[in-house]
This record gives sequence, C-alpha cells and structure tokens, in this order.
Amino acid sequence: MITKDDLLHLALLSKLEVKEDEMDALIADMESIVAFADTIAQASGGVEGDGLPTTLENVFREDEVRPSMDRSLILKNVNGGENGCFVVRTRKQAAR
Amino acid sequence: MSGTILTLARRLQNKEQSAVELTKEYLDAVSRENGALNAYVHLTPDAALAAASAVDKARLRGEDLSPLAGIPMTLKDNLSTDGILTTCCSKILSGYTPVFDATTWALLKARGAVLLGKTNMDEFAMGSSCETSCYGGAKNPHNLERVAGGSSGGVASAVAGGIAAYGLGSDTGGSIRQPAAFCGLTGLKPTYGAVSRYGLIAYASSFDQVGPIAQTAEDAALVFDAISEKDPLDSTSQGRREETFPLLSQPVKGLKVALVKEYFDGLAGSTTESAIQAAAETLRAMGCEVCELSIPEISYSLPVYYILACAEASSNLGRYDGIRYGYRTEEGWESIHEMICKTRSEGFGAEVKRRILLGTYVLSAGYYDAYYKKAQSLRGAIHEAFEKAFCQADVLLCPTVPRTAFPLNFTGVDPVETYLTDICTVSVNIVGLPGLSVPCGSDEEGLPIGMQLIGRSFDEATLLRLAHQYETARGPYKSAERGVRV
Repeated sequence: MITKDDLLHLALLSKLEVKEDEMDALIADMESIVAFADTIAQASGGVEGDGLPTTLENVFREDEVRPSMDRSLILKNVNGGENGCFVVRTRKQAAR
Repeated sequence: MSGTILTLARRLQNKEQSAVELTKEYLDAVSRENGALNAYVHLTPDAALAAASAVDKARLRGEDLSPLAGIPMTLKDNLSTDGILTTCCSKILSGYTPVFDATTWALLKARGAVLLGKTNMDEFAMGSSCETSCYGGAKNPHNLERVAGGSSGGVASAVAGGIAAYGLGSDTGGSIRQPAAFCGLTGLKPTYGAVSRYGLIAYASSFDQVGPIAQTAEDAALVFDAISEKDPLDSTSQGRREETFPLLSQPVKGLKVALVKEYFDGLAGSTTESAIQAAAETLRAMGCEVCELSIPEISYSLPVYYILACAEASSNLGRYDGIRYGYRTEEGWESIHEMICKTRSEGFGAEVKRRILLGTYVLSAGYYDAYYKKAQSLRGAIHEAFEKAFCQADVLLCPTVPRTAFPLNFTGVDPVETYLTDICTVSVNIVGLPGLSVPCGSDEEGLPIGMQLIGRSFDEATLLRLAHQYETARGPYKSAERGVRV
C-alpha cells in the first residue's frame, strides 16, 4: 500500500511536486503498477548479469586534454548565458 | 503504392526526376496530409531542398552516390539534429535546439539523405499510442480513428501516409516494431550495440536502440547497413557483423523457425493468430522448417521491463532541471530546488511523471532488492532461456502485438492494461536481440497485423533475408493510399 506520505517522499526524491488534487489518482495508478511489478516476487532462478549481448571491456587511453564542445555553443540554448555561465535568478533577484 | 527507397532511387538514378523535384513532391504531400495525420511536429523544408540540390549537383558531377541520396525521410523527435528543434515531444524540452548531430543522422546525412522534418512520438518515448506527446498523437493512415502506435508513431504515420519514404525511430520496449505493425510497415529493432545511441535522447539506456521504419525489408536493410557502424562516441556500440543488403537473396531453405507458445496466450481463434499461422505456412512453403517451442521465462518479461526501464528513466530524466536548456517555470521561486521541482512538474506529462516515480520507488531504500535487484537477476534468466531457444531454432516467430491499432484515446484508461499490450516486444529488448516486424495480414476492419521475427545477436542479416523473401512470396502489402504515389 502506498500512502500520501510515501508519495510525497518519492516526489521529493524525484524533484517533482504533487498537488493535493492529483494524489488519489496517482496513488491508485502507482498501487496498480506496483502490484503488477510484484508478480516477480514468486519467480525463482535468477542469474547474475545484465542479459545483454554486448561484451564490454575496460579500455584505457592516455589522459590527454582534447578539444571539447565550444562554450558558446553549449550556452546557445540559454541565449548565450552571462559571462560564460548559466544564470538562475530567484524571483526577488529577477525583480531588481 | 507509396515509393520505396529503391523505386525512388531508380527514378533519380535514371534522371526521370531530380532530387529537388522529388523533395518538392513530398513537401507538397506533407502540406496536404499532415493536418490529418499529425505525423510531423517540426518541418525543415529549406534544409531539405538545400540537401536535395546538393545531391543533384553531385549526380551531375558524376559522383558515385548511395541509394539513400536524395530520398526524402524523417527522424523521430528524440534524435539530436544540429540546428533543428528536438523536443522528445515534451514541454520540458520546448525550444531546445541541439548543437550536434546524432551519429545515426550524421551517417545518413553523409549519404545524401533529405530530412523533411522531425516526427511525433510519445513524450520521451514513454507510451504505446503516441498520445502522450505534448503535440497530441499521430493518426493511423489506414484509419484516422485509430492511433499510429508508439512510441515512434509519427515516423510510422509519415511513412505509411506517403509523406516520407522511410524514417528512423527508437525502440526501448517495442517502439519501432509496434507502430510498424499498426501501420502495415517493416520495422527493425537492431541488436543492442549494433547501432550507435550517441545523440539519441535517453529513456532507458540499457534497452534503447535506433532503427529503421520502412515499407519493405529491402529498404530496412539499406538503412540498417548505413547506420550500423561502430561509433567511438557510444561505448556500447559494436557495429553490425556484416552488410545485410547483399545477402537478401541467399537461400532460406532449411532455416528453422519456431513459433513461441507464450506469445500466443489468449490469442486462440483471433485474426492475429490466424494471420501468424498463415505466415508460418508461407515460410514452410518457402522451405523453412517450422516448429513450436516454449520459453516460460517470458511471463516475467513485462514486470522486469517496467521495473528496469523506469529505474533507468528516473535516473536519465534527472538532468532536466530548467537551467541549461528547455523549459523553465515562469512561477516565482525562492530556491534552486523549488525552481527545479516546479519546472519538472510543469514540464513533464502524466505518464513520464508516473514512470519517474515508479523508477524512484524501485530504487529507493527498502525496495531495491525486492524490485530492481530481483528484476536484474531475472533479466539474466530470460537471456539464458532465449539462448537455449536459439539452440533449437534460427529464428523465433510471434505476433508483434496481440491486437491491431487501438482506437484514439485508448491510453487514458488503466496504465497496466496498456503496458500488457507490449508483451511480445519487451522481452526482445530485455535480452538485447534483434527483432523485425513485417506486415502479414489485416483484421476484419482492414487494420494491419504484424508478425515479429526474432534473431540471434547481431544476426540482422537472417531476419532481413527471411522477411524480404516472405514479402516477395506474400506480394505487395496494401497501401493506405495517401501522400506520394508511384
């Protein structure tokens, strides 16, 4: 059973807000999905590993500085930023 | 019928039409059809005409061109495109324009592909109907009262609607194969690692693969060969084992094809079951040995998939904070945490929030062992069960989806009911195998039915060869009679 407190805790961990009027529907959906996920509890015979066909190996290289993406390109999606930085102002700061 | 890549390429090679003329024909068709289909969410007509013009000039210079050169196509809106909006059909990525290309798009662009625009999808690829898109869902060209499927519904709608010759989608739990099946198309989910994921905006990184949705297996082979190169920018990339297109005509006689019992649960007497059995008869007539086998572990695949995929999603989607790109709340805030919470709550849709919360739940203290760890160990068990199955057969055969395309607004009901329709596709992603959906019939309402062929790791060549020869034996599949006709 998922309580309102559980949901609020999960929302906090997930950096989401849940409004009071969304809670009941969200709890009902979550309980239904968790009950569905619970069907694996009876399963036996698990095996170690990720089940993927790729065989990953550690590959090492010299730790050399290489050119990366240009800072002005990275800042393009925030209208260029300010002095090479991303800018986040609180409402109080924005009003000044 | 709509133009296949090979048909259109021949027209261009024989100079019956220039690439610019062909592109204009497709752009006109997009103008006529997209209002009804809602397949495209961002159009790129100027870039398309410039790319087509470059192909025409290269042809005039006598350059040796790929069959993909000058062919109008589309990309799902979760593949990064330098200078072109890429939103994953989510409000949280509104206005986001990547500054680099996904490797798959870079490979196609280098071969002269003409991108008409980006196509609709379920928000962050989470859905089976395309209806969780912030732009509304794409419609099925065979019946506008039905969904195109999801999550790559826009690509399937555009290709079946004759407003793109082919497209690239992504498949995490069936998102290429299911819409291909719903829209009467051929869709390939390659082996995990065969195609680079660089520039694919992540949903669940250990499941995601990029692949083609096309009108025929021949076209799918051409596109797969073009995009399946090893990529140093994706540490899980290995590239294809061999080129598949040159092998399409190799004999299929003696191939062992197994119907998997568990995928037919609850389907006895249905039109879907009849269509798959009829396809199995055709394969038998082509010289394949058709048998039946059982993989009981498949019964765990849906919960395993939803636990692991949501866990990965909750981590992957943690990056959307409203600071570096995309949407930021316009409400006031007093702390960074508050701003991030408001941004994410306003920017993500209901299904995405549900999956983030579920992922956080299964990863949280007290539940990690019971859910995440258990699901991961069952993933290994399912993988072993498939390996055993491939000791008895070369290819596995089943429906792609247990039913045909949903009516519109289907996914507004119980989420678990919708998840259950993914039963035939998710197990293939869990074990990273290649899966191919091929049209094999239609139901009483004329809606397409798809069959799924599942192969061994990196054996796309066998799947595409079998599908190509099946399609030849089956004859041309019915077209939705929309868009560009040839």
